[in-house]
Amino acid sequence: MSDLISIKGGRDGLRLRLDDAVDWQVLREALSQQLAQKSGFFVGARLMLEIGDRTLSDVQMATLLELMQQHGVQVESVGATARESRDAARASGLTARPLPRYPEPAMPNPANEHDGMLVTRTLRSGQVLRHHGNITLIGDMNPGAELIAGGSVVVWGRLRGLVHAGALGNAEAVVCALELRPTQLRIAEQITRAPDGAGRNGPETARIEGGQIVVEPWEGSKRG
Amino acid sequence: MARIITITSGKGGVGKTTTTANLGTALAMQGAKVAVIDADIGLRNLDVVMGLENRIVYDLVDVVEGRARLRQALIKDKRLPELCLMPAAQTRDKDAVSPAQMIDLTNQLRQEFDYVLIDSPAGIEGGFRNAIAGADEVVIVTTPEVSAVRDADRIVGLVEAAEKGPPSLIVNRIKPRLVNRGEMLSVDDVLELLAIQLIGIVPDDETIVTSTNRGEAVVYDQNSLAGRAFLNIARRITGENVPFMAITDQQSMFERLFGMFGRRRS
Repeated sequence: MSDLISIKGGRDGLRLRLDDAVDWQVLREALSQQLAQKSGFFVGARLMLEIGDRTLSDVQMATLLELMQQHGVQVESVGATARESRDAARASGLTARPLPRYPEPAMPNPANEHDGMLVTRTLRSGQVLRHHGNITLIGDMNPGAELIAGGSVVVWGRLRGLVHAGALGNAEAVVCALELRPTQLRIAEQITRAPDGAGRNGPETARIEGGQIVVEPWEGSKRG
Repeated sequence: MARIITITSGKGGVGKTTTTANLGTALAMQGAKVAVIDADIGLRNLDVVMGLENRIVYDLVDVVEGRARLRQALIKDKRLPELCLMPAAQTRDKDAVSPAQMIDLTNQLRQEFDYVLIDSPAGIEGGFRNAIAGADEVVIVTTPEVSAVRDADRIVGLVEAAEKGPPSLIVNRIKPRLVNRGEMLSVDDVLELLAIQLIGIVPDDETIVTSTNRGEAVVYDQNSLAGRAFLNIARRITGENVPFMAITDQQSMFERLFGMFGRRRS
């Protein structure tokens, strides 16, 4: 993402980390821009916000949360080094956690799209997996479920819900599944839905080719 | 010590209340002490289906708020002394009770019964959360319709998230003729999606409508296929291994027979 803002998914959910050195105005504008640009990834997300060593007043905290909300992001908790910032978060009705000081330089490991998340279960209607990197699901994904990844998505099972690969803008991302029957398939900015009627059987891969999403059967031999 | 089983579905109108009434009755017919609780506060139904509406004096909310003792609110069934109903309040809403109060209530009932069945309201909000709060096990009822199965899937996820263990499944209102023609989801289609333990298949049966309207459980009707299906589910709940009855379409059997004679004559 940008140098000022990084997103990271872990076992306990998504974390959005904000730079704590740059001017507050600059940060706010960068954040607003990132949230708008990557709305495919952020709309509907629930996350932990890390503001580092920055000291925010109640009013500043409230504007920050309002900005997140405008972009469809629900902040569940705030991590901050400064006590004033934690008090401000609590004043807005959030849980606040102390945060160790960011290591120097301020943003040493920008989140990497090659990071991966492995999940082994059935993903059911109403359940959402969201990760900044690649997602591998071993199990079926049922209609009404959502998979949103900054990188690629691999489903070892039936993929039947809404899937969005490259949701942070990566048009090289792919989606593959043993049975690819998404209600809707998105890669980066492209959106497609499965053709009506019965589709092909067997594993398939979806990728962007020539500006649109192309779905091909997986034929290992042809790929050498 | 009772097993506390919540019957839920997500979607409305798939047969939760009928299932609760019939499983409660069937378990009591086998000699178990059973309490059925109507957790659908504000849309009371279970008492009507069981034909006990005119005996209600106190309800669940009265007990929770301390206006009545547990025993006063439990209504004895017309036929089976082993079966009791705890009716819902009609004039209140779901917020009248909290999950903690439901757990407390079920724990009190646990001492005196073998089975406590809770009839959950439709939906995934407070009423549903109350209904599963005290449950040891959850049974999901669905019909072979895409929308009902979709909601059931959502409920499975929520039940697992509530750490109630994997729920079991009843597929209600199967119409064999439509399944044979490929116009209705089959039990296999439903199971393939939900991937949970099946404990019952109930055929679509007109006797349900008549017995429900009379306020009598269909399990009393010897000739009812649905009644037999509910009796079998009750036996499976007690741990018996009962094979699933073959739900064949009688009409198509005849058609097949006539078809055979037709060919012989020619």
